Amino acid sequence: MQHPPVLTPEPGAPSQAPATVYKRAAARGAVFQAIQSGASFATVTHAAVAGEEAVLDIRGFDLWYGASRALWSVAMRVPRGKVTALIGPSGCGKSTLLRSVNRLNDLIDGVRVDGDMLLNGDSIYGSGVDVIELRKRIGMVFQKPNPFPMSIFENVVYSLRIDGERDRRVLEEVCEQSLVGAGLWEEVKDRLQDSALRLSGGQQQRLCIARAIAAEPEVLLLDEPCSALDPIATGRIEDLIEELKGSYSILIVTHNMQQASRTSDYTAFMYLGRLVEYGPTRDIFLNPQLAETEDYVSGRFG
Amino acid sequence: MQPAKTPRPRRVRTTSRSVRAAERVARTLISVGGIGTIAAVVLILVFLVSVVQPLASATSLEKPSLLPGSPKGEQPLRVGTDEYGLIGWALRSNGQLEYRDLASGAELERVDLTRGGIPPAASSAWAGGEFALAYPDGSLCLGRADFATSFLDHDKAPESLRALAVGEHAPHGRGRAQRIAAEQWRVQEPSTGQRPIVQLPVGADDPIAVVEATRTTKGFRVAWLTQSGRLSVGVLEERENPMTAELEVEISTFAAPAPTGATPPQRLVLTGLGDSLLACWEDGRALRYDLRRLDDIEISEEVDLLPEPSARISALELLIGRGTLVVGGTDGSLTCWFRIRPPLSSTRDGTRLMPVHALVASGPAITSLAASERSRILVSGTQDGELRVHYVPTNEERASVRPFESAAGPVMALALAPKEDAVLAYGRDSVARLALDVGHPDGSARALFTPLWYEDYSGPEHVWQSSSGSDDFEPKLGLVPLVFGTLKATLFSLLFGVPIALLAAIFTSEFLSPAWRTPIKSAIEMMASLPSVVLGFLAALIFAPFVQNWLPSVLALFFCLPLCLLAGAYLWQFLPARTAIRASGMPRLLAVAACLPFAAVMALSTGPLVERICFGGDATGWLNGSVGSGFPGWFWMLLPLSSALAIFAAAHFGGTWLRRRSASWSRRRCAGFDLLRFVALGLGGAALAALFAALLHAGGLDPRGSVVDTYVQRNALVVGFVMGFTVIPIIYTLAEDALSSVPQALRLASLGAGATPWQTAMRIVVPTAGSGLFSAIMVGLGRAVGETMIVLMATGNTPVMEWNVFNGFRTLSANIAVELPEAARDSTHYRTLFLAALTLFAITFVVNTLAEVVRQRFRKRSYQL
Ligand SMILES: Nc1ncnc2c1ncn2[C@@H]1O[C@H](COP(=O)(O)OP(=O)(O)O)[C@@H](O)[C@H]1O
Ligand SMILES: [Mg+2]
Repeated sequence: MQHPPVLTPEPGAPSQAPATVYKRAAARGAVFQAIQSGASFATVTHAAVAGEEAVLDIRGFDLWYGASRALWSVAMRVPRGKVTALIGPSGCGKSTLLRSVNRLNDLIDGVRVDGDMLLNGDSIYGSGVDVIELRKRIGMVFQKPNPFPMSIFENVVYSLRIDGERDRRVLEEVCEQSLVGAGLWEEVKDRLQDSALRLSGGQQQRLCIARAIAAEPEVLLLDEPCSALDPIATGRIEDLIEELKGSYSILIVTHNMQQASRTSDYTAFMYLGRLVEYGPTRDIFLNPQLAETEDYVSGRFG
Repeated sequence: MQPAKTPRPRRVRTTSRSVRAAERVARTLISVGGIGTIAAVVLILVFLVSVVQPLASATSLEKPSLLPGSPKGEQPLRVGTDEYGLIGWALRSNGQLEYRDLASGAELERVDLTRGGIPPAASSAWAGGEFALAYPDGSLCLGRADFATSFLDHDKAPESLRALAVGEHAPHGRGRAQRIAAEQWRVQEPSTGQRPIVQLPVGADDPIAVVEATRTTKGFRVAWLTQSGRLSVGVLEERENPMTAELEVEISTFAAPAPTGATPPQRLVLTGLGDSLLACWEDGRALRYDLRRLDDIEISEEVDLLPEPSARISALELLIGRGTLVVGGTDGSLTCWFRIRPPLSSTRDGTRLMPVHALVASGPAITSLAASERSRILVSGTQDGELRVHYVPTNEERASVRPFESAAGPVMALALAPKEDAVLAYGRDSVARLALDVGHPDGSARALFTPLWYEDYSGPEHVWQSSSGSDDFEPKLGLVPLVFGTLKATLFSLLFGVPIALLAAIFTSEFLSPAWRTPIKSAIEMMASLPSVVLGFLAALIFAPFVQNWLPSVLALFFCLPLCLLAGAYLWQFLPARTAIRASGMPRLLAVAACLPFAAVMALSTGPLVERICFGGDATGWLNGSVGSGFPGWFWMLLPLSSALAIFAAAHFGGTWLRRRSASWSRRRCAGFDLLRFVALGLGGAALAALFAALLHAGGLDPRGSVVDTYVQRNALVVGFVMGFTVIPIIYTLAEDALSSVPQALRLASLGAGATPWQTAMRIVVPTAGSGLFSAIMVGLGRAVGETMIVLMATGNTPVMEWNVFNGFRTLSANIAVELPEAARDSTHYRTLFLAALTLFAITFVVNTLAEVVRQRFRKRSYQL
């Protein structure tokens, strides 16, 4: 990966006492060096996280793509009803972690995992878990909008369709609620039978969010939902995430620091498959405990 | 400090000469190859069209040439020409047979056929120049107006002939010589054949009034009517005396019931090989005698050949084979009659003479007729001097002309040259010779694509029967049975191949791990490399007999296999959740595979059982219609449909309710209930099928005669199976490509929403790849349409038109393969086969183009995703 960043001393150190074993100025770069050399290292998790009730509890999760390891004992409690952002440089395993939650990684040949995750207390990787049932409890939105090549209506009610729902009234009600929830209702209510492929990119992505929330998921996973969109569409999605906060527990991967700081309650910083620091967004951005986190959020590398 | 860098000289980038040359060569080769391919295809097309095109050409009669010095006189009995249309003859009722040079009009020879100046009292003449003359004393002269052909080479040819160009002719000796090659001349000279006089057993006081004769395999059959109305039939058998080498004629005479009527009949007509005799009166009344048993001749029926009361018969002629009687009347009607075998006939021989083709309804009286000696072309002449060329099977008038300048009166006699290249028309005071080009009347659009009423058939039908052993055979070139056969082969092979190929493609692209995908795909594609002749061979010699021997079990497999798989799936649900999930990979696949032998065993045991219970222990017999009723057939045929109906109804009217109720049940309870429901639905389907079957049966309908009927060993079922093997790899490969090109993102979105892989495949992947799948099927269809070897070897090649699964058919391609080597070049048959090829080309072209268009559209759409 990258060379160790050339760091310059930071003037004006924050006033709070660091709660970690690493001294800020002295250890600058030490964490990355430790990770790169393969030494063991502990995630810095802020105390504030512990006070939250976890909807998703990731416990020492490892993942290998064949021989190469992509996740290194990631441990993380995703709080209920909050927005949690995953940040980190490209290729650090954010998407991998997200896909591990709904076990989409199972589809990739040669993937091996260790450790477990609990969704509302139920094991995700336990041996008797019905993956199909599990996925019904989790919603996911991908980087690139991927509406199905069918009508807007059918896209939204897809999760109900596959559960065998035939009642037209129920379907219509859910469709409207979800589209309203995704902030798309006003734009498409007159053309629900049109092909979803005719919507603009931003609309398509909101449609995908509507499709995900139609299933009333316990966790909503968003993998860089705005990276393929223009700034205006991005803004609308961010507003939408703001609105969904509270009613849904959201785990969002983003590349955009501003987006993370604006929309999320908690932020986790990942690096080379490790969860480096995890805490309330304010703290991560304004007062991180690790110099590496500070360097990353302030754009000095990444 | 860094050392000061000297700037490196900028590398000059040029494309080397050899690279340019290679580029030019490659470009040229590629364009030549590409254009060459297109040109080759176009050339093939042009060639096919150029061979086929003459089928559409019309029959043409050239401007008549009037012979100088034509004889004036009464209507000849019969006229004719030699094979090359150079010399004409006319037999007159006064016993004179005259030969005439058709170029100069000069009389070449005159044969006196009187008996010491006494002309024949009655006469009959028929095709080929043969005649029978009966004299008042009862003696009968059988003979033939014939020609002697000899060849001259350079040494023998006189100076006058050497000046001729090839093809030209000039008088020579008693006849005419034609230069046929650089150093060869052919001389045609009149040569009348006469057989020894035969004495018919008639009394001197009761002379012969009407005579009729025809050639049979052993000699002649003669019928005569005396003035007192006694009708007799004689069989003349010729034998060569081994001692004297002389021809001896033995005659046996049989008496026939006298024709009933106020006056004796004016004409006698022997049809066929003399197995039927018509006694005709001028007003159209006719009695038909059945001559199959000569010691018991009976009148079979009475018919009216001319319905118009005032009309009189003015011309009678038999077409080649003597099966079709053409009747021309003074009212201008021209009708063809032949015997057909109606289902309920009161006549002794079970046949009935019927008017089949009305060539002309009315007009000026028909005065003369001439039938071709090689086809069903008929030439007719009218009272007002018009000459028409008809083609009887299609009921078409192909050409018409007025041979005589000015309204010169009737066409008194007509002759059609044996090669159908000239017509000789005798007018009142002139003779006209017309060059004729008949074209391809038996290959016209009407002949090829509409049902025609052929001789011996009981109605118009599409028939393909291009050749037979006999000379007087009527070619039947209906292409429709072949097109039908092609469609039938295609349909059955696709019915078998498409589901398997598509399911296999879905399985590999959606359910198989990528590591397995490539080897399995290659393995299935390997199937395509099996030569189809090997498949055809296996089908014909191994598979067809096997299916025949094990028919009940093979058919039972169609029911047992789905049943076993479904039952297996339901039983699978009884596994504890944990075990089921652990075993969802390879073990489940093995369990599915284990269903196959299980189903086979089940089919083997239930097949004969069902045969015994439902089909009287003889399935083939049941299919023939010899045992059992239609009910069990309907039942089994309707079972899949009614089961589907039952399942659909159950899902529609209780599915949601059940889903809500069962949500809280334990897994085991759900599984048990599901299994119960499966059994109940199966029974419900069976009950429904029984109900429908009973209704249909009560309605008098029998499945036999539709898609199931008499069993033939090589049949559509066998071909469907085996041809499936050739279409499966093609459809599979293309379908798999189409499915795998569906963006992975869609699959992930669907699976991520909690859909099962099957739901994802059916709801997202298949619809998205729909047009690609369609084009895969189309390409498979194109392959099935053009397939030759398998259908050639495994269908029996009978060009029948029925949907019966258990009967064979003949496809366009197999027909071309079978018949083209034997078709005479440039004959109608030959050109028709080329038309079959063109049709095949057109079908595959349309199908492939359609597939490609849809594929392109699909590609565009998949870019959108
Ligand atoms: N399907 C895959 N097969 C093998 N390696 C993969 C696969 N997907 C991702 N990786 C690897 O895993 C690491 C993490 O990737 P990813 O989770 O996509 O990173 P991020 O989303 O943070 O950019 C990368 O090094 C990447 O190369
Ligand atoms: Mg990613």
